[in-house]
Amino acid sequence: MPIIQTRDLRKVFRSVRRRPGALGALRTLFSRDYEERVAVDGVTMSLEAGELVGYIGPNGAGKSTTIKMLTGILVPTSGSVDVAGIVPYEHRKDNARNIGVVFGQRSQLYWDLPLVESFELLRAIYGIPQSTYKRNLAEFVSLLQMDDFLRTPVRQLSLGQRMRGDFAAALLHDPKIVYLDEPTIGLDVVAKEAIREFIARINAERGTTIILTTHDLADVERLCRRIVLIDRGTIIYDGDVERIKNEYGRFRHLVLRFEEPVERPQLPGAELEESAGVRARFRFDRNRERADLLIREASERYKLEDVTLEEPDLEAIIRRIYVEGYESRTEETVS
Amino acid sequence: MEVLTEVGSLVLRVYLLRALWTALYAQNAAPMNLPLHSMITYATVALLMSLILEVDGTRLIREKIREGTIATDLMKPISVPLYFFSDGVGQTLLHAVLVVPSLAFALLMVHVDVPPPATLAAFAFSFLLGYCVNFFLNFLMNSIAFWTLETFAVQLIVRWVSDLLSGQIIPLTFFPGIFGRLVFGLPFAAIYSTPLLIYVGVIPASQWMTYFAVQILWLALFGALSTFVWRAASRRVVIQGG
Repeated sequence: MPIIQTRDLRKVFRSVRRRPGALGALRTLFSRDYEERVAVDGVTMSLEAGELVGYIGPNGAGKSTTIKMLTGILVPTSGSVDVAGIVPYEHRKDNARNIGVVFGQRSQLYWDLPLVESFELLRAIYGIPQSTYKRNLAEFVSLLQMDDFLRTPVRQLSLGQRMRGDFAAALLHDPKIVYLDEPTIGLDVVAKEAIREFIARINAERGTTIILTTHDLADVERLCRRIVLIDRGTIIYDGDVERIKNEYGRFRHLVLRFEEPVERPQLPGAELEESAGVRARFRFDRNRERADLLIREASERYKLEDVTLEEPDLEAIIRRIYVEGYESRTEETVS
Repeated sequence: MEVLTEVGSLVLRVYLLRALWTALYAQNAAPMNLPLHSMITYATVALLMSLILEVDGTRLIREKIREGTIATDLMKPISVPLYFFSDGVGQTLLHAVLVVPSLAFALLMVHVDVPPPATLAAFAFSFLLGYCVNFFLNFLMNSIAFWTLETFAVQLIVRWVSDLLSGQIIPLTFFPGIFGRLVFGLPFAAIYSTPLLIYVGVIPASQWMTYFAVQILWLALFGALSTFVWRAASRRVVIQGG
């Protein structure tokens, strides 16, 4: 029984088309054309309890709109959505008790209050039992190292501190499901890693189902086994991170550094992508060529100073999919 | 500091009002049943009431819609309109504290009639009803932001109309003929006019219940309308930015 289930979820926004200029504004008042924008176009997906899924897509692909429908603040144009047995937009408040939300771009903490007062307020809002509240707060304070700024007004916190506060705020009421919307945006590498570790831990220890929306694919590589890729409102991939890497990672790169400059170096089985003086970059098909043989061949032909084999990272793969579109390459890789 | 300027400006306004009404009364025969001292009482109490009523607690709605932060509120298990109401009451109470020093100063400058306790209690009750009517009026207006994002013009117009027709500036009994009867039939009268006319004794004890009933009627109507608007609005929430 999946904990989150959507079927043919669609959301169409209708907005008045505005004409430019002052005269245009006046004409807009009297005759209105509407333009429709399909933000989410038939999304069907299901998540089992305890999964940690990366929900990825370019800006404007429909990620946030989907999440808003899952939280119940947007009503779908058509299709069905079920979150822990509740239809979110029909029972927004019941659904709210089951979920926690963290927005990297927007805080849910009360700006003028000391951090701990925000937590107190949330305790009252969710009716969290005193014992649960104390236990959770103590755990989050130590895991996220919040001792130093617990009594500081939120507006004076650094971004990293504020994000930690937001994470604690979203999890105090033991939600079954947590939506994370770009939770590491703008953070430094150390803070990012701390947040990632915290997410992994919450998922592992509490069995919290997590949907992670992010543009930082290092987050996904570090945390998710499964990703759902959305583009122009439709899901173009749903499956293992490993599988997409295999499908798209057919081509690897071999970077050679020569002892002295080589004019247009050649390497049978590999295609020269760029070369400049002592450096050359080749692309080869992993299914046809073996890296070790290529390296041996190269070392016989040229005097090498250094050799680097570049594994395709998720970011490069996703970038290609955004640009070229996704088509399944399963057949190629299976053979 | 804010307290000082606020009290200062209030004292000035009380003084001006007294001067204005005294001059007006000197030119014309006093209207029946509202002698000068009652009129000055009326104007002063109206001014003190405005300190509380002009706090627009529902401004938060418009701000939250424009900034998109209403999304996070909607993701909590709370009734959002109730949250706005609580916030509004909180702001009002804060401002009500200012009324105390203002009242003290105003009393030094003008003589304000103090009615018997029963009338005072009726005034307080009527004021409470008026406060709620005013809240819903503001709520409705700020909710327009769900559709237009901007409510400034509408609010300005309603504010002007309301200032004039609510009896805040001129007692509604001064309006002539048909117009005079009409303004009593408008919801604005429930905000300032009814409590004030009870205070100065123009509305006798025998008619209190009728006037309360009219206020409650407006309250119920606006409350129902607000619920309806809120339902419609929350179905078409478009969160700003992302």
